[in-house]
Amino acid sequence: MKACVFNIQKFSLHDGPGIRTVVFFKGCPLRCKWCANPESFKLQPELMWDPVKKAEITVGEYKTLDAILDEVMKDIDFYEESGGGVTLSGGEVLAQAGFATELLKQLKANNIHTACETTGYTSPAVFAEFMTHVDLLFFDVKHYDNTRHAAGTGVSNELILANLATAATLHPNLLVRIPIIPNYNDTLEDASGFAKLLKEHDIHQVELLPFHQFGEKKYEYLGKDYALLDLPQLHSEDLAEHQRIFEYHGIKCRVR
Amino acid sequence: MNTPYFGNLTERMNAFRENLLDAKSYACAERAVLTTESYKKYLDQPVVLKRAYMLKNILDNMTIFIEDETLIAGNQAKENRFAPIFPEYAMDWVINELDEFDKRDGDVFYITEETKDQLREIAPFWENNTVKARGLAAIPPKSRVCYDLGIIKAEGNITSGDAHIAVSYEDVINHGLVSFEQRTREMLESLDITTIENQKKSYFYESILIVIDAVKAFSNRYAQLAHDMAEKETDPKREKELREMAMRCEKVPYHKAETFHEAVQSIWMIQLILQIESNGHSLSYGRMDQFLYPFYLKDIAEKVITEDEATELLVNLWLKTFTINKIRSWTHTQFSAGSPLYQNVTIGGQTKDKKDAVNALSYQILKSVAQTKLPQPNLTVRYHAGLDDQFMKECVEVLRLGFGMPAFNSDEIIIPSFIERGVSEEDAYNYSAIGCVETAVPGKWGYRCTGMSFINFPKTLLIAMNNGVDPKTGTRLAEGVGHFKDMTTYAEVEQAWDKVIREFTRHSVIIENSCDLVLEQDVPDVLCSALTEDCIGRGLTLKEGGAVYDFISGLQVGIANLADSLAAIKKLVFEEERFTSVQLWDALNNNFEGVEGEAIRKLLVNDAPKYGNDDDYVDQLAVDAYRSYIDEVVKYPNTRFGRGPIGGTRYAGTSSISANVGQGRSTMATPDGRKAETPLAEGCSPSHNRDKNGPTAVLKTVSKLPTKDITGGVLLNQKVTPQVLAKEEDRMKLIALVRTFFNRLHGYHIQYNVVSREMLLEAQKHPEKHRDLVVRVAGYSAFFNVLSKTTQDDIINRTEHVL
Repeated sequence: MKACVFNIQKFSLHDGPGIRTVVFFKGCPLRCKWCANPESFKLQPELMWDPVKKAEITVGEYKTLDAILDEVMKDIDFYEESGGGVTLSGGEVLAQAGFATELLKQLKANNIHTACETTGYTSPAVFAEFMTHVDLLFFDVKHYDNTRHAAGTGVSNELILANLATAATLHPNLLVRIPIIPNYNDTLEDASGFAKLLKEHDIHQVELLPFHQFGEKKYEYLGKDYALLDLPQLHSEDLAEHQRIFEYHGIKCRVR
Repeated sequence: MNTPYFGNLTERMNAFRENLLDAKSYACAERAVLTTESYKKYLDQPVVLKRAYMLKNILDNMTIFIEDETLIAGNQAKENRFAPIFPEYAMDWVINELDEFDKRDGDVFYITEETKDQLREIAPFWENNTVKARGLAAIPPKSRVCYDLGIIKAEGNITSGDAHIAVSYEDVINHGLVSFEQRTREMLESLDITTIENQKKSYFYESILIVIDAVKAFSNRYAQLAHDMAEKETDPKREKELREMAMRCEKVPYHKAETFHEAVQSIWMIQLILQIESNGHSLSYGRMDQFLYPFYLKDIAEKVITEDEATELLVNLWLKTFTINKIRSWTHTQFSAGSPLYQNVTIGGQTKDKKDAVNALSYQILKSVAQTKLPQPNLTVRYHAGLDDQFMKECVEVLRLGFGMPAFNSDEIIIPSFIERGVSEEDAYNYSAIGCVETAVPGKWGYRCTGMSFINFPKTLLIAMNNGVDPKTGTRLAEGVGHFKDMTTYAEVEQAWDKVIREFTRHSVIIENSCDLVLEQDVPDVLCSALTEDCIGRGLTLKEGGAVYDFISGLQVGIANLADSLAAIKKLVFEEERFTSVQLWDALNNNFEGVEGEAIRKLLVNDAPKYGNDDDYVDQLAVDAYRSYIDEVVKYPNTRFGRGPIGGTRYAGTSSISANVGQGRSTMATPDGRKAETPLAEGCSPSHNRDKNGPTAVLKTVSKLPTKDITGGVLLNQKVTPQVLAKEEDRMKLIALVRTFFNRLHGYHIQYNVVSREMLLEAQKHPEKHRDLVVRVAGYSAFFNVLSKTTQDDIINRTEHVL
């Protein structure tokens, strides 16, 4: 059993509690226009220009469960001392859900705290099983409105919302995150729309991720078009009003 | 402006600090002239007595002054930041470089024509009459070649004496020099001098009495000066301070101290005089938060002093500490860039009965060092698993100021390692940092627990690959096992390394012993010995074996380059056959010039495993190669073995200070893809930009080294950007990182440079705007702008962990 993984990032501090290692799975069924990791779209390894090495490099590698496990287990001392662990991210980790679930099981067997960053785009059955092995679930919601969702990500949000409902009901440690993208979901009305959605699912906590342009260059290195070229970045202070709207609706809101 | 976390300096301490920052470093001839005078006058005397008379002559006649801002008296040279010349250690470089001091690329010193004349006038007396001259002459020819070719360096020892020691300040403040005097008299009186050994001891005892008397008289000179200044003082507050200062100087260090202020004055006077007696550096304070604490507690309780006054007094002490300056030869400067004195202060750790030793004074010292924010003193925190988060957070706040302090040493590895070597449990729990990362028991340990000679590991490998011949000069230095070009297996490379490193280790021992022999015979330090147990008891100076413990270590430079080189050879030449040994050897000799050379260099850099990434393939090669050195060096006792001390042996140590730059300059291209003349990796840190997996991987790699056997210090430099520590939760993660390194991975030392690359580049461009920017060089901090461009670049290029 192998998975296509494009990075294993150690000493990651902002993807869950404590010192963590993040495993980035390659391949994503969504095509979010703002995506900062376009090298993670394809499910297979691909070539990308490396400006430092001044050469094409291969992004992504098929790795066995044992290889990944060996690598992440190297930092077990740090996880234990700091209350950290391993976070699965992507791409969309659920695109390789079978492998990811196995990996999570192994991690739990080793008493490692697990977190996952997902957009929840998979069948409800797969999601329900997967979710049970995740200690902390970061669930990204891009849009509350299905038409707009499809316009921005290329897919409907029906599955996503169904899985969000499951998570909201059954998962003890769920954190919804919303990337705020200019001209897409950044009005205060949008904030109200999201707040309403969260309230429907009895979710009282949200994290907003202001749009950034860290991925801009990568499109060029991959020879891909980038729709949001030169779109100004947002900063946490730009989202103060959004925060108030969520708080108004009784939802604790943090801007990253 | 917001008040800084640790508060502002008092107005007068700020003024004092500004004056010191304004003060230009000058070479000062005063001590040199007075020393020459005494040496001529007492030419016939036994050497210890000559040294005693010399110190007395200096202390009796040197210029003294009391700054308007200070509450503590004592100065090293004619003016603050002037560096005395110590002609008895070496005079040739002084004369040769007289006209170059102010033209240096870094560590500039100014010098007046008058000083030049004075130095030129005394120079003839010192021709072939210095430690350096006799030291070099004492090195047997085969070892001397290694010294001359820069494979093994010991310039510090041979040109400036020892130090690297903490004397028993605890005894000085609690009992006064008078107790040492009494004991010496008793020993002297009971001595039967019909044996030559005892007769020699009597000279030592006599010299101690002379020196203690001289120290007393010196302190009284300040008392008199303070009195005189008080007479003329118009400000009644200052007048009172001066009168009190006079009383203190009359009392301490001869008598025991009874207040916090007296104790500080007493310590400073000794710290100062030890740095007039000898030109050695890394003269350390030891565990100041422990031995000063009873004085602090009593004075606070009895309202003799307020907390703020105590902070100011400590700041005053640090500013005084910073006034000490040292001029080194240009070649030696490259090994110790930034004219560091490495006057270490250690806080935290555990008490002798194994409890957390942090107290209110530990916090006070942190605070005062943070306020002072200068390269001296060098602050070390002794970490142990029971150190609470509150204190750790306070340490991180100091780190955030960006001047590289505090460094952390870990009780968890050092104490057991000491006990295993024969140090008593009580003493092991009382260790302190000395200089930068090395450790010893204050007041009981001989000179140079590290800092003996430097061995250039990568250069040794190149010589091993070249069948024992120096590639640059063609000189045969060791018997080889054949040339790399003819090798067909990696095992042969390993064999070659093992053979040559063992041979060079023996040469390093011979060179170190030659230095020690001459230092013992020529320049015994009377005061320093007297204040180290059990020199008086045994009637022996430190170098004769007077100390209770005496372990030493040299410094091994370029460990990461060695590891990466071996991994590249093993993988790319022998396992994958990407190029042949002939191709690689030619590429190295051509410094990777040409298309093929560059192609090979790229493969070396990109396609071989690198030290610092938690990759067992390469990390194990480092361990195996280092083992050869460790295994060899422990065989050779030092010159004090069997003469009294526990130990008398050697162990390994990795604190390369800035020698990685100096030794890099004389090293051709290496198989890790490093180009000729560029810096080597420092300490046990990975090579620049070769650690790609972040700090946890670096710590894992370093923890694989046989730390327990590298008791001389395992120096790990880490750099993080200030943003990393902006948030409380991230600061806690840094603390967790440090805790993991020490609690679970049994690391020895770690230090952080918290300064952004942009800031350093900006400071390079506009030095005038950043005159007090202090950065971590290796085991010590220095003004960024005093460093040479190469060392500056070296620091800028260290991998920065961005999150």
